[in-house]
Amino acid sequence: MSRRILCLFFPRFTIDRLEQEDERWIDRPLAIVREEARHLYVASVNAMAWKTGVRIGDRVADARAVQPDLRIVLEDPDGDERLQEKLVAWCDRYSPLVAVNGPDGIVLDITGCAHLFGGEAALCQQIETKVRSMRFQVRAAIADTLGAAWALARFSQKRIVVQEELEKALEDLPVSGLRILPETIGALERVGIQTIGQLQRIPRDSLAPRYGAELLLRLDQALGKVPEPVTPYRLPRPYRCGQTFAEPIGTTTAVEYVLLHLLTTLCTRLEKEHRGARQFTLLCFRVDNSVAVVEVRTSKPSRSITHLMRLFSEKMSSLDAGFGIETMVLQARDVDGVMPVQLFLPHCGDAIEADASFEELLDRLALRLGFSAVCRLQIHESFLPELSTSFVPVTNEVSANAAWPHYRLRPVRLYEKPVPIAVSEIFPDELPVRMRIGSQMHQIVRAEGPERLAPEWWRSQKDSFLWRDYYRIENEGGLRFWIFRETTESSLPRWFLHGQLA
Amino acid sequence: MQMGRAKERMAHLRGVLEPLLATRKRFSRTVPVAAEINACLPNAGLPLGCIHEVKGMPLASGIAFASILASRIPASAGRIVFIAPDQTLHPLGLLPMGMEIERLVHVCAKRPADIAWAALEALRCHQVGAVLAVTQSADLTLCRRFQLAAEKSGATGFLLTDAAAKAGAPIASAISRWKVTAIPSPSRAVFHEPCWEIDLVYCRSGSPASWRMAWKQDQLELLSPRTIPQPNGLPVRLTGHPQFLTG
Repeated sequence: MSRRILCLFFPRFTIDRLEQEDERWIDRPLAIVREEARHLYVASVNAMAWKTGVRIGDRVADARAVQPDLRIVLEDPDGDERLQEKLVAWCDRYSPLVAVNGPDGIVLDITGCAHLFGGEAALCQQIETKVRSMRFQVRAAIADTLGAAWALARFSQKRIVVQEELEKALEDLPVSGLRILPETIGALERVGIQTIGQLQRIPRDSLAPRYGAELLLRLDQALGKVPEPVTPYRLPRPYRCGQTFAEPIGTTTAVEYVLLHLLTTLCTRLEKEHRGARQFTLLCFRVDNSVAVVEVRTSKPSRSITHLMRLFSEKMSSLDAGFGIETMVLQARDVDGVMPVQLFLPHCGDAIEADASFEELLDRLALRLGFSAVCRLQIHESFLPELSTSFVPVTNEVSANAAWPHYRLRPVRLYEKPVPIAVSEIFPDELPVRMRIGSQMHQIVRAEGPERLAPEWWRSQKDSFLWRDYYRIENEGGLRFWIFRETTESSLPRWFLHGQLA
Repeated sequence: MQMGRAKERMAHLRGVLEPLLATRKRFSRTVPVAAEINACLPNAGLPLGCIHEVKGMPLASGIAFASILASRIPASAGRIVFIAPDQTLHPLGLLPMGMEIERLVHVCAKRPADIAWAALEALRCHQVGAVLAVTQSADLTLCRRFQLAAEKSGATGFLLTDAAAKAGAPIASAISRWKVTAIPSPSRAVFHEPCWEIDLVYCRSGSPASWRMAWKQDQLELLSPRTIPQPNGLPVRLTGHPQFLTG
């Protein structure tokens, strides 16, 4: 049985993607540009831009001269590919063998699938309608070979071509339908070969040395003489395993027994693939059609059965079996690669213990106290005390710390909200003399400052002040504080206590 | 005759000294604190693998002193875990004490029971070098469990309390108890060199004493008694580094 390939052609994929993201571009001229040899050239245009005279291949400067309002967007092949992969995943409903075919096409192998949708013509119609309703411009074509379907989708009005008609359908199509390089197309046109039919009549031995073997390969692929399979895009198999019970279970020991079994299956699979996961979810489906969820998260990708079992047992007490659990499913998410660890050296007595005890400690602490309670400290590039450091939960990645200049002293303890205080100065804008925090009076004996900090103009601030003058002060008892005077646009300067120095 | 009795006495003394020597072996890992302080500590340094209590008046001084000691523990011993009921710790203030921020992990636990549990779990981990826990009091059983965990894993625990802790309920069974009070600095000193009165209230196999010291760059130096000034009216403006920079 011969194969049937369906090719989808998206004439303006990027433009459609951008117009979907932002609907305003439908009515305004938009061009996608590509950088080539340090110039920007127009790669594709939308209808409005075409109307006003911008053409593909123009230099951007020329295009702007023709249309001053032209909006330029640099091409984003990664964004396009991601959307294409989503479309491919959607096309899964028509055939299991779907793949991306260039930046503007998708190919499906529909051998034996067409009758499920009422025939090839109906299938073609259905796909086109559905994709058009997603606001993409698309053309579909079905033929025996990928090469033929590709050419038909782009250069022909015919939709469906059966095996007997293949050569005849390809005859009048231009040579650019053969997926060859533009130089080869130019060379062929120069000698007057414009259609595939003309190309076929030329003896093969004279084509190969002049235009390369690729031309012949593409011709044979289009006519079906050389096979060209469709390599499907496979979604990775989810990391999930489950167990259904003949009788509903409800005791903790039974649940833990099944959980251990499921964890073992999942972790052996992860181990084989040299991977670990950060999030493990246990779903218990109860007899009354409700679901109980227990979730465990780790800071580093883990596949250690003992560690995960310990984390789960801490949360088991919160699991309510209700009238009984019928099915248990264990899922792993956020799967990442894990470096394989050498467990022992042959001929040496001791086993090298995997050094995961600190990460396991962090996981246990985070599980009981909350994931935002266990943090690493990150120093940022900022002098403002609120922004210079942050508490980053251990589950997140932490980047390198910024260097801190040693002469800028900071307090050991920084209050989360500055405490308003009353301060008396001899002269305004001079050193403070006396300070009252709450109901306690302090005589200021020694002071250093001011260190003037202004809000960072590149950040939008909620509480806008003009600047803060920070002083390090010491009272008569030896207590050292970090206080500041805040100057705002609207009110008088006020004093606050922000931290405690060593 | 006399030789026989002398030999008996020697044997008796050896029997008495034997368990004390075992104590010395237990506290063989130490970190130096300061030249004058080391003289009062067994094995000339602060023993590791056990629990110490540091009472800070205010708490920031206690934290600073404990981080000086904790940062002297070699990095190979493991990480430093700081447990507190809130997130008021500002790590930039610990940089002059020699603390490496990458080594530090901060745990915020609101309830005292959670702080105690977290401290115990951290002390049990082999890859933890020091645990600094801000706690108000700990009873005898809890302290005993801390002590056993620290001895087994080699981690050192610093239980930080502040003035709010009840004077009558100290941390029982700590190997050493310290009290760090902030004192006025000598007039020429700058805020880079905080001054404390460090009081070694109790130390097992050591002798209690107190010193007035200033932290200068990377060591504690004794202050001479003359340099403590008296306040007299207007505050002294110290010229630190020029900091008229916008942040």
